[in-house]
Amino acid sequence: MNIGLTGFATLSLPGLLRLRAENAGKPQKEKTAVIMVWLIGGLSHIDTYDPKPDASTDYRGPFNVIPTNVPGMNITELLPLHAKMADKFTLIRSMTHRAGGHPAGHLRMLSGDPDERDKPAPKYPDWMCLANYLRSKQAGRTSPLPNYVAINSIEGGYAGPAYLGNAYSPFTISDDPNRPNFQVPNIGQTSATEARRLSDRTALRQNLDTLERSFDKEGELGALDQFESQAVTLLTNPKTRDAFDLGKEDARTRDRYGRHRWGQQLLLARRLVESGVEIIHSNLDGPICGTAGNNWDDHAVNAHVFNGLRYRCWAYDQAVTALIEDIHARGLAKRVMVVVTGEFGRTPKISYDRSTGAHPASGVAGTIQPGRDHWPRVFTNLWSGGGIPGGGIIGASDKRGEDPAERPCSPGDFLATLYHHLGIDWENTTINDLTGRPTHIVNGGAPITELFS
Amino acid sequence: MGRWVGSLAAWLLAMGAVSAAESVRAVSFINDVVPVLTKASCNSGACHAKAGMGQNGFQLSLLGFEPQEDYEHLVKEARGRRLSATAPEQSLLLLKAASAVPHGGGRRLDPESEAYRLVKTWIAQGMKYDQSTDPKLVSISVQPARGTLKRKGEQQLKVMARFSDGRVKDITKLALYEANDRSMAETEENGRVRILDIPGNVAVMVRFQDKTAVFNASVPLGAPVKHLPPSKNFIDQFVFTNLKQISVPPSPVCDDATFIRRVSLDIAGRLPTVAEAEVFLSSTEPSKRDKLVDTLLTSPDYADFFANKWTALLKNKRDAASDISANFAFHSWVRDSLLANKPYDQLVRQLLAATGTIEGNPPVAWYKRVKQPTEQLEDVAQLFLGVRMQCAQCHHHPFERWSQHDYYSMSAFFSQIGRKPTATAGEDVIFHKRGMAQAENKKTKLPVKPAGLGDPTLDIPPDEDPRLRLADWMGNKANPFFAKSLVNRYWKHFFKRGLIEPEDDIRDTNPPSNPELLDALAKHFVESGFDLKAVVRVITQSSTYQLSATPNQHNGVDRQNFSHFYPRRMQAEVLLDSIDQFTGAKTDFADLPPGTRAIALPDNSYNRGSAFLKVFGRPEGASVCECERASSASLAQSLHLMNASDVKGKLAASGGRAERLAKDDKPAAQKIRELYLAAFAREPQSHEQAVAEEYLAKPREDAQGKPLPPDQSRRIAYEDLLWALINTKEFLYNH
Repeated sequence: MNIGLTGFATLSLPGLLRLRAENAGKPQKEKTAVIMVWLIGGLSHIDTYDPKPDASTDYRGPFNVIPTNVPGMNITELLPLHAKMADKFTLIRSMTHRAGGHPAGHLRMLSGDPDERDKPAPKYPDWMCLANYLRSKQAGRTSPLPNYVAINSIEGGYAGPAYLGNAYSPFTISDDPNRPNFQVPNIGQTSATEARRLSDRTALRQNLDTLERSFDKEGELGALDQFESQAVTLLTNPKTRDAFDLGKEDARTRDRYGRHRWGQQLLLARRLVESGVEIIHSNLDGPICGTAGNNWDDHAVNAHVFNGLRYRCWAYDQAVTALIEDIHARGLAKRVMVVVTGEFGRTPKISYDRSTGAHPASGVAGTIQPGRDHWPRVFTNLWSGGGIPGGGIIGASDKRGEDPAERPCSPGDFLATLYHHLGIDWENTTINDLTGRPTHIVNGGAPITELFS
Repeated sequence: MGRWVGSLAAWLLAMGAVSAAESVRAVSFINDVVPVLTKASCNSGACHAKAGMGQNGFQLSLLGFEPQEDYEHLVKEARGRRLSATAPEQSLLLLKAASAVPHGGGRRLDPESEAYRLVKTWIAQGMKYDQSTDPKLVSISVQPARGTLKRKGEQQLKVMARFSDGRVKDITKLALYEANDRSMAETEENGRVRILDIPGNVAVMVRFQDKTAVFNASVPLGAPVKHLPPSKNFIDQFVFTNLKQISVPPSPVCDDATFIRRVSLDIAGRLPTVAEAEVFLSSTEPSKRDKLVDTLLTSPDYADFFANKWTALLKNKRDAASDISANFAFHSWVRDSLLANKPYDQLVRQLLAATGTIEGNPPVAWYKRVKQPTEQLEDVAQLFLGVRMQCAQCHHHPFERWSQHDYYSMSAFFSQIGRKPTATAGEDVIFHKRGMAQAENKKTKLPVKPAGLGDPTLDIPPDEDPRLRLADWMGNKANPFFAKSLVNRYWKHFFKRGLIEPEDDIRDTNPPSNPELLDALAKHFVESGFDLKAVVRVITQSSTYQLSATPNQHNGVDRQNFSHFYPRRMQAEVLLDSIDQFTGAKTDFADLPPGTRAIALPDNSYNRGSAFLKVFGRPEGASVCECERASSASLAQSLHLMNASDVKGKLAASGGRAERLAKDDKPAAQKIRELYLAAFAREPQSHEQAVAEEYLAKPREDAQGKPLPPDQSRRIAYEDLLWALINTKEFLYNH
């Protein structure tokens, strides 16, 4: 089958789009990118990146502390692969805010909304839609792929474009990339019949699309033409399909990320970033290997927190370290920034409640089991790539992991750091909201420059 | 060029004279120093304005509206190191502003400039705050106040300030300038206005402290206006008079096919049916267009379509599953009111002053959605008065005369709303709580009594519901906002662009593109007894509304004078319904009878289940602004129309149009004609007929290259043809 560019040459695609199509799959060295790995529900910092072995048993949990290849940086035994490559990432152990609900925690971190209360939908655009919007105003992008892709996206009104409009929402991949017949709708027609039919239809449309265009002084129809051509390219160009085709990856690489949903999500993120996608988030949510629902919200009623962490951390450890290793090995460590975090951490003091038995890592329904609740007051982010040398620890929590003891970092600092890497003027850029009020993209905060030193 | 040099020299001379006088007089903090900081953008939102957080701990009031606070910040904060009377040049303020020490905002003041000298002199004079007896700014004026300018022409403005001691000062250099339409005019810091390429009317707002003035420019095109379409009512008189003044010739009136499609989409939110199109096209009745307007206005589709518009603006959104009954009740109340053509002032009054339970009185549901008095006043002001008050909650409105006092005076109308929980979770009984209506000014902490915008304070007896007095004020024939705001909003519905743009931002500094027309529309609306259908009727029966979208050789540049129709993409709901009607498919919505159309959906909850509605920008009812509805194109929209499973399913729907036509033995030409009437309300042209016939006749093969049986081949061909027509601009657009 040879549909795609040559098949559509007769449609007189604008030269620009042709160029874009030809460049699909080539690395875009000049444009920085971010991959955000999201741990929805909130990762327990004290059981992973910020252990407190000297705290009392009602705080510290059962996991042993292990050294890493960076002297002085200790983590827990749940993350053995992390320990071997701590020189390639930096931990911020003093991220802090006060929004304790899932919606508010997300909106605080992702859109910088200062409101600490939950709300049903975002008031401000999240940083990803915003970066997508600002990047879309810049010329020179040659990739035919959408510029913002969500691999297992953050749903439920926890993120979104707010007043920017849905045009800046992510291109969403919801299928499990670990499935043998993993498919991305609207990318590269797989069947020759379908492809031929689309080509027939497009040609017919071209002949019938005769609306008088002289009114189009504002370029509305021109923009629509561009989107239509881009859609045709996405639907038919085999190169765009390649960007999503994990079958093109070496089997050893696929193994290294882990043959489970989360591992292949992050491998796909790396593959897309190499094909020119500049903003990616991947939510480590849902079944890891085809089992029941899974996220990081380890209240005792949801899951036995320690069994839950054991249940998913092997896959998490594998996937995240593979991504970090790969970014470095493939020369992307300057251009691509990787950040791993959830909306908050978890209560350092262990709580107990009755299990519902629903979670695979839960006790039998009715048994009392340990859990940890929401804890925004202090938690840890992991940062890698983006010119970050790695091996650093920024800030610290206090002796029981309850509050920042040094260098508190805010969601504003978090966002400013990401914008800074993307070359967006975080300090002066404003966007008009629906009332026409210019709104700063960062509401208090500054890039965490220690990351880069 | 010579004239330009001359006027500049005279101007510089004038400025020189002012500055000589300045050196002997005591420099005023309020009248001299703050304007310098404003002009240099120190107190702008992105820099040190408190409203924008204030960079690096140095906070000033937004645009210098609060000089007393600015004085405190400058003189007393940061241990006084911002200013030094003994060595004024060493003051941090001047070092930073001149970028003599590193400054995030770069160099804002040239040490050689008069502005710099002014601040330096004030510091050297001992950094005094003005005495209460010192002269105050009374007004500003701009010269000229209006003018006719050529395209690409320029105009130097001169701005004078008058103070309470009678002194008049040239503040051209210190004033700020901003055009209301930046695609028409650019402004320079020194008050020079440069007109761009688009003809029409443009305003430049001039701002100094809390006072504003406006320069209105009329920019003619200079083309001959020989033929004008017939003037059918006062709208045409005002539009054509304006077009003659700015010498932009209008396009001719559109043909019948264009008209029936356009007006059906705009009034009833749907395409005309094949039968409707055939009857209308063949009718020779001279007044058939006027009659069609009346027919559409009496149809329930009109009520559905406009209820859809209003309920989104009135935030009829479902946050919890239990909102369903309240939302259905509220939607029905709006729809039934529109169907019965309830006078608009009554509709607003019933909403504003609603009391009781949602069950007994559905407009109470608005108070379930909009809970805080601040939000209530902001929504009411923006939606029913076209005034955006939000800014004035925390600071003086940057483009307007409204202060925090005005804001809280409006909010006082909502201060006596009592709530009592009902048996239904989240639903309160709304009642008037006895007591004096008043609100607290957040800044001064003083109580404020209710007052309509720009009106004197009201003393409302404790037994009277203040919301009724607000409704009285709004519905008063002399109210300067209420009628204007509605007709402008409706004008935009039919013309893509308001006479004032954005449609809900009425202010002195944002004048209408055709003020006489706006006044006449408002007067007509008031005199009709606030008859909403009458507004729609007078607009759609005008020749102006019926002009062709195709520009003539001159008027293509026009974007605000309505010399030709401005096409726009169908909105999400209408597009979905149109595709359903065209393909003969139905969309199912939860809890609603089969066949319910998207324009009849009672709230936003259906967006969740419909990728189509979401992708094409159906609003969530989160904002009182129509701008929440996204009208821009996107990649996701194109992908959706071309390839999404729901659209594919409609094309292939069993019992749908493609199936029916494939099975029908009529000649292809007749079937193609049906498709064109259904999609565009017109006959196909001969080349379209030829292309379609050829496509239908083409033999088709299966995946293995074997010829398909004719019935299968025909079915595929009709689906493809429907696909191609849906995906044309002519389908997507109302034109």
